[in-house]
Amino acid sequence: MTELQINNARVIDPLNVFDEHRSLYIKNGKLTDSSAADAPIIDATGLIACPGFIDLYARLREPGYSRKGTIESEGCAAIKAGFTTVFCAPDTNPVIDSIATVELIKQKANAANGPRIVPIAALTAALNGERLSEMATLFRAGCRILGHADRPIKDTGVLLSAMEYASSFNIPIMVRPIENAITGNGCAHAGSVATRLGLPGLTVAAETVALSQLIELCRCTGCRLHLSRLSSGRAIEMVRQAKNDHLPVTADVGIHHLYFTHEQLEGFDVNFHSAVPFRSVEDRDALRTGVRDGTIDAICSDHAPHDKDSKLAPFPSSAAGLSAFDSFIPLLLALPDLLNMSLIDVIAKITSGPARIIDPDDNYSLTKDAPADIILIDTHAQARLAADEFLSHGLNSPLVGLNNLAEVIDEDVNLVGQVQHSFIAGNEKTK
Amino acid sequence: MRKSDPQFNQLNKLHHFLSIDGLDKTTLTHILDTAEGFTSVNDKSIKNVPLLRGKTVANLFFENSTRTRTAFELAAKRLSADILNIDLVSSSTKKGESLLDTLRVLEALQSDMFVVRHSDSGAADFIARHVSPAINVINGGDGQHAHPTQAMLDMFTIRRHKGSFDNLCVVIIGDIKHSRVARSGIAALVTLGVPDVRVVGPQTLMPADVESLGVTVYQDINKALAGADVVMGLRLQNERMTSATIPSTGEFFQAYGLTPERLRLAKPDAIVMHPGPTNRGVEIAASVADGEQSVILQQVTFGIAVRMAVMSIIMGHGEEVRLLEMNNV
Repeated sequence: MTELQINNARVIDPLNVFDEHRSLYIKNGKLTDSSAADAPIIDATGLIACPGFIDLYARLREPGYSRKGTIESEGCAAIKAGFTTVFCAPDTNPVIDSIATVELIKQKANAANGPRIVPIAALTAALNGERLSEMATLFRAGCRILGHADRPIKDTGVLLSAMEYASSFNIPIMVRPIENAITGNGCAHAGSVATRLGLPGLTVAAETVALSQLIELCRCTGCRLHLSRLSSGRAIEMVRQAKNDHLPVTADVGIHHLYFTHEQLEGFDVNFHSAVPFRSVEDRDALRTGVRDGTIDAICSDHAPHDKDSKLAPFPSSAAGLSAFDSFIPLLLALPDLLNMSLIDVIAKITSGPARIIDPDDNYSLTKDAPADIILIDTHAQARLAADEFLSHGLNSPLVGLNNLAEVIDEDVNLVGQVQHSFIAGNEKTK
Repeated sequence: MRKSDPQFNQLNKLHHFLSIDGLDKTTLTHILDTAEGFTSVNDKSIKNVPLLRGKTVANLFFENSTRTRTAFELAAKRLSADILNIDLVSSSTKKGESLLDTLRVLEALQSDMFVVRHSDSGAADFIARHVSPAINVINGGDGQHAHPTQAMLDMFTIRRHKGSFDNLCVVIIGDIKHSRVARSGIAALVTLGVPDVRVVGPQTLMPADVESLGVTVYQDINKALAGADVVMGLRLQNERMTSATIPSTGEFFQAYGLTPERLRLAKPDAIVMHPGPTNRGVEIAASVADGEQSVILQQVTFGIAVRMAVMSIIMGHGEEVRLLEMNNV
């Protein structure tokens, strides 16, 4: 398709602070300001048009764990979630720590013809926290950010080196703060619920001790530090302070963490067993405040599809993580009401927000000449959450088959919203 | 949102016995009353009753245990059930078979009841949710979560000695954090209406937000013991002794050991309990464990009647016990 006109959409373009009805024109994969009289037209009456979403953290499970998901299956689910760009986690098998693996992922992504897939390269070889990966080479090969998945870097010296080295090449790094020494075998927020259920606890300190170390290393290295998937109110305060100190830090939160708390673990519900623990109501509310006041720059899916068997075990032995793509749109669309934010500000957290984390000069928007990565969302259609409508191979979601969130949490939220069209560089993607 | 309690079947009858959490005072009292009926059985020279004749009880112990397994075995035998002891510690689970696969095989052996011990918190709950509906599950201890039959035999012992649970002060000493006995004990004490439940130990052995269980936390054992009616010790697990949670067993005994001097701070008629096996000189002085206030061996004996009661009730024979008792009279 070389030319296309989208009429009557409510166009939401966060970077340009634009939220009005207008037409969009696509030519040769880019946005333009007019089109030929005979250009194909999409009537987008009643739909929202916005830049395609960018997911900063999703596990696509390939290579290595294709029984849980593949680049193709999870890519389809990502398109359903509105993502046109997905940063995929490095904890595959083999780990994304070599050009060969990066190339393999690129090939699979090309063949799948889904969203743009950007591998997050591992900071250390095999994610074992001992030796730096070929960071600059991996960065040049298209891994636009390097990270360490859910694994702690036990040796602070290695972490310092990684940050110094990243700083030398202006490579951003993404780290989820976890202090291994006090994480132990914890599998749930250390609080009243874990105490009653006898689940080994993950203290807030397991996050904040690592975070304080990261912030200080950021201060002395100047490394661009992205804090991935924060879980506690105290962490939000620390990031807020670091930003006040003008440190180059950014932060994101997984979308489920804006909804769920440790209360959901009642009855040993393995669907809520998450690597990043669901903490107290106060923590969740602090995360919401962080999103609202800008302490948190982006929302990610933290998508973690699992095969059925991985979850068929007692809570501590069940695999951690929630399948997030299929339910992402309804959860995102409910945020403006829950967080008392405008829709454009919420969409910023999933478009221009993550784009600027990766590159502070990025102008990810619907501006003329920008690549036409656009999605059209029907905000009224019932979300497709029945098990047979899931596109992800992972059915490990507490929202499978639900119409309203009140069935799992004390919040009356209708689960609505469907992506109707998705364009990447002007090419429509089918789901 | 409260999720469905797997302990109850569709008729709202107790079908599994997994945790004290979720059970009300009436249910717990019914178990204790039923156990009273069985103590007379245990005192007779012929100790069997035919309540579970023809039924098969499988002891599924994924974790080592001698005492609990033996107590369940004896309880099942006295109810005339067939008993299957399956040692799963060294068995197929080590070969990578999933818990669910193991379960299916044991189901195929056509047992009527599973008694489960497993190192994962929530394992009994998991098994109850996945077994065929005809099978009853008893939790014989799951991870750090629950050990409900131990809690009930503790309650039985307390009631025997104190008459009721009103106005009692119960002190639990030691490793609360890693103890399923403590969790189930606290839940039972609170549910039965004990107004003053105290836990005492160093912060390393206290779980987060422990007050939310309905207890008062003490770090000073002398203050905790003041005015106590019941003093419960807990076993300090070997792995705790070698980790950073306590400096040494000697220092632990200095700070938290139950000595005759400390016991004098409790009420003169206070009873001393311990789930066993005891570490003498670590959590309890030998003279206290063997002293006249100790009811530790009675706990073991009562454990049989309490387990017989739980087995009968969940298999739907709770009411028949009363008739049995009347016939004996």
